[in-house]
Amino acid sequence: MPKFDVDESLVRKLAGLLEQTGLTEIEFEAGEQRIRVTRGSTVVHAPAAAAPAAVAPAAVPVVSDGPPAGAVMSPMVGTAYAAATPGSDAFVKVGDRVQKGQTLLIIEAMKVMNPIPAPHAGTVKEILFDDGRPVEYDDVLMVVA
Amino acid sequence: MFEKVLIANRGEIALRIHRACREMGIRTVAVHSTADADAMHVRLADESVCIGPPPSRESYLNVPAILTAASIAGADAIHPGIGFLSENAKFASMVGEHGFTFIGPTPEHIALMGDKVQAKEAAISLGLPVVPGSEGALANDAEAMDLADGIGYPVLIKAAAGGGGKGMKVANARDEMVQALSLARAESKANFGNDAVYLEKYLSHPRHIEIQVLGDSHGNVIHLGERDCSLQRRHQKVLEEAPSPALNASQRREVCDTAIAAMKKLGYRSAGTIEFLFQDGKFYFIEMNTRLQVEHPVSEMITGIDLVREQIRVAAGAPLGMTQNDVVFNGHAIECRINAEDPVHFRPSPGRITDYHAPGGLGVRVDSALYTGYRVPSHYDSLIAKLVVHGGSRNECLMRLRRALEEFVIGGIETSIPLHRRLIAAGDFINGDYDIRWLEKYVTVEA
Repeated sequence: MPKFDVDESLVRKLAGLLEQTGLTEIEFEAGEQRIRVTRGSTVVHAPAAAAPAAVAPAAVPVVSDGPPAGAVMSPMVGTAYAAATPGSDAFVKVGDRVQKGQTLLIIEAMKVMNPIPAPHAGTVKEILFDDGRPVEYDDVLMVVA
Repeated sequence: MFEKVLIANRGEIALRIHRACREMGIRTVAVHSTADADAMHVRLADESVCIGPPPSRESYLNVPAILTAASIAGADAIHPGIGFLSENAKFASMVGEHGFTFIGPTPEHIALMGDKVQAKEAAISLGLPVVPGSEGALANDAEAMDLADGIGYPVLIKAAAGGGGKGMKVANARDEMVQALSLARAESKANFGNDAVYLEKYLSHPRHIEIQVLGDSHGNVIHLGERDCSLQRRHQKVLEEAPSPALNASQRREVCDTAIAAMKKLGYRSAGTIEFLFQDGKFYFIEMNTRLQVEHPVSEMITGIDLVREQIRVAAGAPLGMTQNDVVFNGHAIECRINAEDPVHFRPSPGRITDYHAPGGLGVRVDSALYTGYRVPSHYDSLIAKLVVHGGSRNECLMRLRRALEEFVIGGIETSIPLHRRLIAAGDFINGDYDIRWLEKYVTVEA
């Protein structure tokens, strides 16, 4: 069994993240090593290569009861950009009122920039993508309500 | 060797590819539609990217989404699997143009064999025997008669623009030709908009014999023997076996040698299958599939060679890991394709799997992405499992297959397991005495 040196600062960092974000569990895996930090009393010990069929009832993935009202879902896979060009202002920020059809962000796929329009009018409540990071089909990008 | 492979497919074949990659230390990226978010291979893959809604056109056939996913995941290579984009020459080209390696043959060879007329011409030039017939469309009835007399009756008149069995008429003798030609032309015009027809020898009781080939980018090509895939319903294979009970050693050697010579001449790279019709001791080329096939495990079981691993190695530029002499054939293997459909009327049966228990034991392999609680989606083809059994002899294989089918539990949906259990008890099948029309007749009598 390889020696697994506990990275104390990593554990503290993860624990801190739990506190700040209000999450109940964070699992971090890099290469051969995996660490899970859970808030509360239920401790689930899983071997490094758990069979996924067993993991389903035991592990706690982030589960939502469907997307929140006013969710703007990604219509494609690509890289999301908050602004028209690097350095310029973001299209929208939290609190902005938007019209239906107004560009909220851009998703780049195969060098083509696709503006993503607001499906309905409302106020930007949450922005849930990271600028310049990949998004998948159906990812919740923003909440406009 | 690749660091990361994107699997551009779904279901049991995506799982198959994932397994081969994992065994080679290669990381996997599973692209999937929303309907496949809980698929086994998606859960097992190192990374997954949701690329679209359930319809194939918007997900598994969505080239920009797949290439984008490969880009953002930093994949080196893309394995197209079976069906979907695996024989799409344009996709294969685009993969290369975007800096990824396509795990498969060259786009040129995919294009060549994708067009039936071109493929037949290529086959002739490569020395493969073809179904005798007219070269292209028939100019007039007189030409047709002369040709038919030369080939010998019965002949089949086929729509040049056709497919799916439409616009095809058989003429058993010269005096049937005029009517057959006129009917075929009329049907062709009605179905495809033009009445150009061509002519081929009609094979009344052929078997479907295909040869598995594997080539590398250094000019080496080997074969893994034949598979007999004559048991088909509506042109879909239901059960496959190797070796074929219909071939003797010299026929086997003849067709395999011819296939290899052709592939060496072509300079073919990666896995491929050359399909023949076999009747009265003669082979006739029908088509070549420039990809992995569903029934590839049958050949793996009798040779011990991992075809997906070899595809990946070859794509990475490695030479084949074995010569033809290194390929040793051992015993007999049979594969049953298990579909999510009712075993009598063949209506699709998607839904939630309440109980799943796969058979095991010596010589039993199950390639399936099913698990208890999994929902079989309704949007894709109905193949849900492949039961592949190996035995020292065909008899041992049959006994093992019967035993394995008895143990196989797939609860919650209807499957074709009962059909397979009946089929393997049929006298003709046990004797290996069947042709490509046998199963169709068998299920019609049964129903």
